[in-house]
Amino acid sequence: MLGNKNMQNHEVREIGVIAPRIDALTKVTGAENFAADLYPEGFLWVGVKRSDFPHANILAIDGLAASKLTGVTAVLTHRDIKGSNRLGIFEKDQPILADKTVRHYGDAVALVVAESKAALAEALAAIRVEYELLPPVFDPEAALEASAPILHPTRPAGNVLIKSEIVCGDGAANLEKCAFQATVKIRTGWQEHAFLETQTGVAWMEEDGTLSMTVSTQTPFRDRLELAEALGISPAKIHVVAPCLGGGFGGKDGVTVQGFLALAAMHSGGRPVKIYYSREESILAGTKRHPLRAEYTVGCDQDGVLQTLSCRLLFDTGAYASLGSEVFALAMEHAGGPYRIPNVSILGSAVYTNNPVSSAFRGFGVPQAAAVMEQVIDELAKAGGFDPLELRRKNAVRRGDTSPTGVLLTQTTGILECLDQLERHPLWRQRTKWCESAPAFKRRGVGIATIYHSVGFGPAIADYANAKLEILTDGKFRVYAGVSDMGQGNASTYAQIAGHILCQPHEIMDLVLPDTARTLPSASSSASRTTFTYGNAMIGAAELLRDRIRARAALMISFQLLHSVPIEEIELLPGVARHLPSGRSVPLSLVATMMDASERTATYSYTCPVNNQPIASGENLRMHGFPHRVVTYGAQLVTVEVDTLTGETAVCDMLNCVDAGRVLNPQAYEQQVQGGAAQGLGYALFEEFAVADGRILTGDFSTYILPTALDVPDMVTEPVTPDEKDGPFGMKGVGEIGIDGVFPAIANAIADATGVRITAETMSAEKVLAALRQTGQEGRP
Amino acid sequence: MDVLFPRTLEELQKLRAETPGGLVMEGGTDLLVKIRKTGQKPTAIFCIERIAELQRLDVLDDEIVIGAAVTLQQLLECDTIKTELTALFEALSVLASPPVRHSATLVGNVCTASPAGDTLPPLYVFAAEVEISNTSGRRRQSIAEFITGPGKTTLQPDEIVTAVRVPRPVDGTHSVYYKVGKRKAMAIAVASMAARFEFGEAGAIKTIKMAWGSVGPTVVGAIGVEAYLAGGSLSVDCLREAGRLASAAVCPIDDVRASADYRRQVTGNLLLRLARDKRD
Amino acid sequence: MTLNFILNGKNLSVETSPDRRVVDLLREDLGLSGTKECCGSGECGACTILVDGESRLSCLMLAAQLEGRTLLTIEGLASNGELHVVQQAFVEHGAVQCGFCTPGMVLATLDLLRRIPDPTREEVRRELSGNLCRCTGYQKIVDAVMAAARTLHGGMS
Repeated sequence: MLGNKNMQNHEVREIGVIAPRIDALTKVTGAENFAADLYPEGFLWVGVKRSDFPHANILAIDGLAASKLTGVTAVLTHRDIKGSNRLGIFEKDQPILADKTVRHYGDAVALVVAESKAALAEALAAIRVEYELLPPVFDPEAALEASAPILHPTRPAGNVLIKSEIVCGDGAANLEKCAFQATVKIRTGWQEHAFLETQTGVAWMEEDGTLSMTVSTQTPFRDRLELAEALGISPAKIHVVAPCLGGGFGGKDGVTVQGFLALAAMHSGGRPVKIYYSREESILAGTKRHPLRAEYTVGCDQDGVLQTLSCRLLFDTGAYASLGSEVFALAMEHAGGPYRIPNVSILGSAVYTNNPVSSAFRGFGVPQAAAVMEQVIDELAKAGGFDPLELRRKNAVRRGDTSPTGVLLTQTTGILECLDQLERHPLWRQRTKWCESAPAFKRRGVGIATIYHSVGFGPAIADYANAKLEILTDGKFRVYAGVSDMGQGNASTYAQIAGHILCQPHEIMDLVLPDTARTLPSASSSASRTTFTYGNAMIGAAELLRDRIRARAALMISFQLLHSVPIEEIELLPGVARHLPSGRSVPLSLVATMMDASERTATYSYTCPVNNQPIASGENLRMHGFPHRVVTYGAQLVTVEVDTLTGETAVCDMLNCVDAGRVLNPQAYEQQVQGGAAQGLGYALFEEFAVADGRILTGDFSTYILPTALDVPDMVTEPVTPDEKDGPFGMKGVGEIGIDGVFPAIANAIADATGVRITAETMSAEKVLAALRQTGQEGRP
Repeated sequence: MDVLFPRTLEELQKLRAETPGGLVMEGGTDLLVKIRKTGQKPTAIFCIERIAELQRLDVLDDEIVIGAAVTLQQLLECDTIKTELTALFEALSVLASPPVRHSATLVGNVCTASPAGDTLPPLYVFAAEVEISNTSGRRRQSIAEFITGPGKTTLQPDEIVTAVRVPRPVDGTHSVYYKVGKRKAMAIAVASMAARFEFGEAGAIKTIKMAWGSVGPTVVGAIGVEAYLAGGSLSVDCLREAGRLASAAVCPIDDVRASADYRRQVTGNLLLRLARDKRD
Repeated sequence: MTLNFILNGKNLSVETSPDRRVVDLLREDLGLSGTKECCGSGECGACTILVDGESRLSCLMLAAQLEGRTLLTIEGLASNGELHVVQQAFVEHGAVQCGFCTPGMVLATLDLLRRIPDPTREEVRRELSGNLCRCTGYQKIVDAVMAAARTLHGGMS
């Protein structure tokens, strides 16, 4: 079942080998317990009363009738919250339960704790809330106008959450010197995470007054701090366990249901409580990918050398900040793509509206920025008569260059190799022939996109992990993973890293998933840094433990040989420590019993190095993550077939050439790239998230359209694998790069097929057909 | 909410009389979704899945009789449907998903009477009839008359549809079903079209019957389009003109899936697929 | 009502309300939480179970419908700790990521291979199109199903 193991070299080769994940076994038998699967003895259901309006003041909440219904344990409002009742990272602007004002339809107004789902539904319907309506604002541009209603009146900047400008060289002024120019104006829409396990968890009060919860979260350690402040309790009295997540993708980066669980557990008469969103509630209340409105102009010289980029970006963050400023900062940093552009002006802002809340979603602003940049690059190629691949290659960054936003690229930079891989591939080489052999009533096109994606949190927020590893007295090992596994298999990879260093097969290792009482504090499962940071920490812990085991084994063998044994002569092998010169072995179980409990556990703390270069502009982005140090790269190719009768677009092939550094486990690597690319495909073609006057029109899976197995093609993934010195075993991080270029690659392919560029949101069949009609191609055989 | 399993039609009628406010459930794939969505439970559900006479799937000399308890999957496995009622077969194969098709029934799809119901346009072009049982006996009605609006049929409170009867087409009949959805599978039709035709001498169209789904309150037929095409051929030019007539004949609405304009456009365009498929 | 059916090979008799959804009966009453709920409305396939060998959605079935039937949930598939060929293929071929679609996907695969023992990749995609997966992009699931089909059908790869 495992990959090749070269036992002759006294080595378990775990790194770089295809290794099925440990958790696959329990997941495939149904034995894995997700947060959704917990039904503690005697538990009560928790449900949420949501706002009736997108913007209103709350005058009164009457829960009396509801609280008197049979089966209802408690009806709770903001008055039951002792703390600040504010959630958020930098901008603490989001109440657990609305107090004065509701700002979108998903806002929570009251909680019910009840014996059954039926009692819950009855009580939620019986709660009466009196509102005073406020004028809402739904359009991000309108939100900037002086007359716009202000969502958070105490903020000095009105509806502007954050605004920034990055200027390099001569900025936009240089445009007039360019031989060729191109401009695009693009809007991208919301995207729903649509993790299959909706937001869910259970909680209860321990006898010692500790609030204990098991919840589907990417951020168990951060949740404690956020909850403690909002609820007015000590973080030391909050215990969070994060089992395997049924998907996260950024939508569980931060508090979702944790505040409700905590509050309910404190008012449940000592009984456990459970919350489990329906799909509809998940869509209504959950965060989304930020919509973007952008206008980009790029210019190059006669030879196609990029000279200038001038662009404006406007993000709609919805009713609350959430991670809006951080998403904005990453989008700004990556706004110019992986190119050398000397003169740059990037002006951007993110604004509050009464729309659903946008926050982290795989890609974290980069897919939106790339969607625009990579389309304008294709338009420039057209304007100047350049080959789109050649234009990209000519301008691609090399190590030591600065990015368009002035970031010095000191680490591995594999974009050229990615483009080489793409160019060598038959999908690119045979594209003309393939397009020309389109069947009747179809048009074929091929599109590419070049992308980059930074790893980690940037300079201001510590990107840290604390690894913990234990040898048990039976000689086996236990890995304490402090970072949530939302499906990436990172926990399994941590065991793989430990196994590699300890020369033990990793699949028999015991895994402890994040538990604030057992695992050590580590930052979130996010930012393509989950394996990068914890992996580095795990190397430290595993090497420490390995050397302790070797030292103790050396001592034990020296008593047998009656001469001293240097530690260097002891090698670990599966199940034993062996003295190579004498061939004597001691079982690890014996070594472990000769170790004190304090020695059997090794811990190691690692914090990522950061990019401390002075930044000429965009200084206010620094605290939100700008600039980064380690960067992943990619070149993606998509082939499409467009139906001239219906406008339907089928993606026929996808090629993902990715530089995410060395590959620790090819299977897990491909999982990330393929999964990300499939989400990108949905984002581009199907996942139209419709909102009208703040109300979500695509509120379930019959209207919010996810790609099925028939809609996603088989893909080719070609890794480019430079050895990144910062990363564990030379890796960088592959969690996000796979989604970044799919939207523009599909857009470019559709433009190639039809000569038309769809500029507003999802490239639905309806929009494509309208474009075909405009150009007289509709219904052409 | 009680869930009852009559074994005979008589028993069903008796239970219904005893339990006002109860609803008949065929496969349940629409009814249970609706109950969850509205939160309104009927007093009882009468499951017909164990009534023997509703499980018949009879291929007779002149017609195919499909009982109300026959699942879509059973129909997909019926060779006669595949070869003779190709349009229906094609509609069934793109309706929801295998697990849904193991529960859902053709009669259920008919009684739901959704303008987007996949099986409806094929049943129209095959001139299917529904067989209805009531306390005083049985009646038959053409599907076109049976469905009167979105979610509306002529079915009375004391009635149940016991079967759909589809006449077997004459030899040489071709039929197709085309569906446009928001994705390739698990899609609710944004527009759909069924066509049944026979060719005469020199490839001329001898008879043709067409119907469109999702472009009106019920399935839309267009005698004008059929008349235009009869005697003609499936050439691109001919179909393009027929498509224009079809676009004018339908009355679609805007909803979250598509605009009325798009539906109208596609209604006409789908005819051109006949030319495409003729080439293949 | 008292409900009698065969669950994962064992005769079972349970007291339940006839209108209880099968997914709730399994997860909340019988402790079989391997069957997942994700949309509640028949759109995702996460709650797929096998009833008399056929794939059905447990969110669109009422408990009373189970009377006298034979039910297989994901918990009943492996026997004596031995994974079923399909489960083994899912593990080996990387078809599992977050794992929330996996039980439904595995059971839908069983149904698919019963009806089409030697499918093409396209057929696998078509037959599994009612089971949504948000993590994998489906490719490795198709790989796993093809491998399982080879093992079951050809007896060798």
